[in-house]
Amino acid sequence: MRMVVLGVRNLLRNKLRLVVVALLIGFPFFLLLALQAIGAAVRGQTELLKQGVDTNLQLRAKGSMGHVNMVGSYRLLPHDALEKVRRIEHVAKVEPYLLAMSPTQGHNFAMHVGLQVGDAKRLESHGEAGNPRIIAGRDFTPEDAGKDVALIGQGYARWAGITPETLPTARFMVDPTRSNPVIFPLNRPKHELKIIGIYASGYVFGDLQLFMPIETFRRIYGVEGVEQGLSWLFVTADSVDNVAFVEGKIREALGGVADLIAPKAAAAFASTTTKTVDRVADTVSLFAVALMAVVIFFVMLVTVRERAREIGTLKAIGASDGGIMVQFLAEAMALSAIGGLFGMVLFRALGGVFGGPLFALGIGPFLPAQYQDTLFESLGGISAGVGPATVGLVLVIAVVVAAVGSGYGAWQVTRLSPVEAMKHE
Amino acid sequence: MSEAKAVVQKAVVQLKGVTKHYSRGSEVVKALDGVDLRIDEMGMVAIVGPSGSGKSSLLHMIGAMDRPTQGEVIVAGQALTGLPQQALTRFRRQTVGFVFQTFNLIPNLTALENGTLPMEFNRIAKAEREARARRLLDQVGLSHRLSHRPGELSGGEQQRVAIARALANDPPLILADEPTGNLDTESGQKIYELLQEVARQRTVLVVTHAEPLARMADRVLQIKDGRIVGDA
Repeated sequence: MRMVVLGVRNLLRNKLRLVVVALLIGFPFFLLLALQAIGAAVRGQTELLKQGVDTNLQLRAKGSMGHVNMVGSYRLLPHDALEKVRRIEHVAKVEPYLLAMSPTQGHNFAMHVGLQVGDAKRLESHGEAGNPRIIAGRDFTPEDAGKDVALIGQGYARWAGITPETLPTARFMVDPTRSNPVIFPLNRPKHELKIIGIYASGYVFGDLQLFMPIETFRRIYGVEGVEQGLSWLFVTADSVDNVAFVEGKIREALGGVADLIAPKAAAAFASTTTKTVDRVADTVSLFAVALMAVVIFFVMLVTVRERAREIGTLKAIGASDGGIMVQFLAEAMALSAIGGLFGMVLFRALGGVFGGPLFALGIGPFLPAQYQDTLFESLGGISAGVGPATVGLVLVIAVVVAAVGSGYGAWQVTRLSPVEAMKHE
Repeated sequence: MSEAKAVVQKAVVQLKGVTKHYSRGSEVVKALDGVDLRIDEMGMVAIVGPSGSGKSSLLHMIGAMDRPTQGEVIVAGQALTGLPQQALTRFRRQTVGFVFQTFNLIPNLTALENGTLPMEFNRIAKAEREARARRLLDQVGLSHRLSHRPGELSGGEQQRVAIARALANDPPLILADEPTGNLDTESGQKIYELLQEVARQRTVLVVTHAEPLARMADRVLQIKDGRIVGDA
């Protein structure tokens, strides 16, 4: 026990060494925790997607994309489809949508989506992904129903010259007469919308969309009266077990007029992007663990070896080899624990801030090109919280590696005679 | 030095045919070459000789700091040759006290803590070891520097702490390797006087190049090429 006290006392007396080594150990800890947090955020996102995939079904007019101005694909679901589906047992929710295309540059286009305020902001081609994250401004409120307001994706906002700074005065002009080879013009007047928020979805095309209240959409694009119809219906079953039942009933009720789509895009997302991120986060985490282990091992080894003369002196004045080992092990373990705690404190303080740059540097380059710029924004931030399991794991790794490094160094020196130890380089 | 042993056993140090060879690359260096030596009395014994003659090696063999290649070393009645590591540690803790040329104090500990360290290894109770270390540091004139660390002490003061540390477990034999080699003349003189006082009640073996210190010794051993060539 007295050698443990001696080791800890020795550690605390040399404050410069304590700070330097704590920094050296703390940094890889920080890196490890940040990567684990990124991995956890991506896994959380994947889990949300999977839940959506598991219980969601999408309906579109038979043989049509259902976009009100798409060449050859503008047919809509009949207006009574909504009520028919609502009456089906085990249907928890039905969300109606209207979609129109709007040219951007060349043959490219953005998507305008009308939805009931309060429903999920479903993205074209990634509808199952659910609500993208608002990164500036605000989301819809019940009071926005029927008003000339819209939420815009970050990519579309960039194209329109709207930034978070200009958001308070941002306006967007919808012009249904604009066309391109796949979009036909609608003879409708221009309509100005106030932009109330910017969102990030994690998809390039997902960020090129504009959401507005469905009543506003009907007014702008003239989908009213007898023409009233719907582009999509998103149907949520009350449980995974009842999806097949709901699917069967929908086919019975609307099979002649509607295509039923079990979304596959989320699964594809999970099998590509999230798996890539997971794999990269795991690989980089392993790299961080290896880096941490190597740093701690060599810092401890060097710290002990540079004190060979001290060890020789301790042997000369009567310290036993075992006692010296205990002293140095205690010192190393306390030092690594302090370094580990420092890394955790650093992560708690700065993990959220450095999550983005770390993602961009460590994970972004390994993602499919279309997700590199947008995925991190869609994650909803990196949690800088550290759970007890992580704390325990990190400390155990640090302490064990420190003990091995320090113990190996001390063993190398203590097995020498005092004279040899004092001369040991 | 009131705690020194009143009577020192006969043959405090006895060496029989002690040889120490070192390998330096392919070359074998004979640091000691069949040394026979017997020291029966307390007092100061100076070991003098040119650099590389084997003075320090001789001291290291006597203090169980190193093992001889051949021969027998007996100190205070204990034959060191063949003793297990644990017994050698106990021997260094209880039978000898070392004073090094470069002081070798533990840099993060205060003068008082350095003084108590050998007693900690000897499992002496805290109160007792602190009282004894205070007394010893007082005797070497450092009662006002107890809480200072080595870096805050002069060379002479550090060496005095080292002497107090060497006396901590009240060993019958003190081994000093060039104790004034890193000190100015005035500080060196104080160390000579201190060692002389220590030698009144125990055996002090001191390796030195300093003539004044050698002149103070009760016995002077001259060593050359690993052999004792003079004993006066």
